[in-house]
Amino acid sequence: MIIAFFTALTVGALISSCATTSSLTEAKSGAQLWGENCIRCHNAPSPETFSDVEWDVAIMHMRVRANLTENEAVKISAFLKTAN
Amino acid sequence: MKIKYLIFFTILLSIGLGYPILAQEIPSSDEVQKLKQEIETLKSQTNFNKPGVSRFLLRGYAHSGMQVTNEAFSFVGGSFNPLFIYKQSDRLLFESEWELELTGGEVEFGIEYANMSYLLSKTLTFRAGKILVPFGIFVPNLHPAWINKLPTGPLGAGHDGILPTSDIGLELRGGSYVGNLKVNYSLYAINGSQLNDGIDEPEEAGILHHAILPDNNKGKTIGGRVGIFPLPNSSLELGFSGMYGKVGAEDSDLEDVAALHYAVDLSYVRTIPSWSSVIDLKAQYTAVNVDDANFPSHENPDDLITFDNKSTTWFAQLSLRPALLENKFIRNLEFAGRYSTLKTPEGSEWEADNNQIDIGINYWVDWRTLFKISYRISNTGENHQEEEEPGHGGGTIGNTFFIHWAIGF
Repeated sequence: MIIAFFTALTVGALISSCATTSSLTEAKSGAQLWGENCIRCHNAPSPETFSDVEWDVAIMHMRVRANLTENEAVKISAFLKTAN
Repeated sequence: MKIKYLIFFTILLSIGLGYPILAQEIPSSDEVQKLKQEIETLKSQTNFNKPGVSRFLLRGYAHSGMQVTNEAFSFVGGSFNPLFIYKQSDRLLFESEWELELTGGEVEFGIEYANMSYLLSKTLTFRAGKILVPFGIFVPNLHPAWINKLPTGPLGAGHDGILPTSDIGLELRGGSYVGNLKVNYSLYAINGSQLNDGIDEPEEAGILHHAILPDNNKGKTIGGRVGIFPLPNSSLELGFSGMYGKVGAEDSDLEDVAALHYAVDLSYVRTIPSWSSVIDLKAQYTAVNVDDANFPSHENPDDLITFDNKSTTWFAQLSLRPALLENKFIRNLEFAGRYSTLKTPEGSEWEADNNQIDIGINYWVDWRTLFKISYRISNTGENHQEEEEPGHGGGTIGNTFFIHWAIGF
């Protein structure tokens, strides 16, 4: 059972590491990604809610919780820190 | 003569413009030194307050309210859920949500989740600890009171429901793109549910209990979820979840009994400019199949009973908020409705065939604080416990009027 689990983990890691950022994401701004992703579960947060330091933590939490890619998280973070 | 007057007035004009410049004082070396010292002091104070690499954030939510039924009118305690988030580095995160719930005049304390996440790559995260099981969408994403559009969850959800809640284990999760198709994924191994053998509680024979420690067998439950976003604006997500593992106690007659959970879910959130509104559609269908097993009869423990241990639950929820209107009061209103059902095994002591309709109006004070007013119509079918309880994970008996508030912070 443990061997099967770690085999599956390895396969999953290889598959996911092959997937690349899409050209679609490259074309989207941080504001657009913020509007599209945050609203999937809750209201989009106002940028002035947190300071830059607090957004660092909040974005990392949301990257894990909402399964954002690194590229999406970086762009959303940059937008929120500029707009706060 | 005219030239003399021109020269005279030019000299006067030059003196008039030049005097203020000549009158400015040039700072002394002492003043410059003093200014430099002030700058150094300010720099020192700024560096003292500069945040380090490690960052901490305390957030969470709370809710309370009142509910009115034919039998009772009560203010309900609700809960206070602090969320501790600690970012130790750019790759390492720890987070934990606690729940302090006021029930029956007492405070019940629980840890909803507590886990460490390590960002392995741009698209993959390793997580370990107590996690919200990534099964479906309601429990992992929508259960916080300030996110839930209605005062309570759908049938089948909650701590006594048939949907898995949180459990201890390991997980790989992330999001990436296959071409321009966005996907997210999760693969995990957890302790899993435990089957009630009915020996101590015959009325609960065959029920699966979640998040019980320690594990009752050596097997682990393996599960996963895949979500795909068919539309380029990520407005639509379709999810597929599955979870399988042994649920019977080790070295018991039920040690080989296993359970399969599977679910499909849908989320569609879209701004519709012609309506000046945002619509939010959520739905999830879940089935739980437990292997056949014998349990002691409630009437006579020496007799054995068996039943087809299959349960299903589903909900569909729609909300509409005219968020693009100019009127501030109206654009903060939101209309929400939900239909949910729960069907538990025929022939079991916890048999239920329930459905409920919730209709409500919310008012958003800010993006994470709201008041909810709603009315629930409950229909109970052929339940063994129809007059006492609505059944396992079955919500409330009878129709109920709610007024709740919830704050996210």
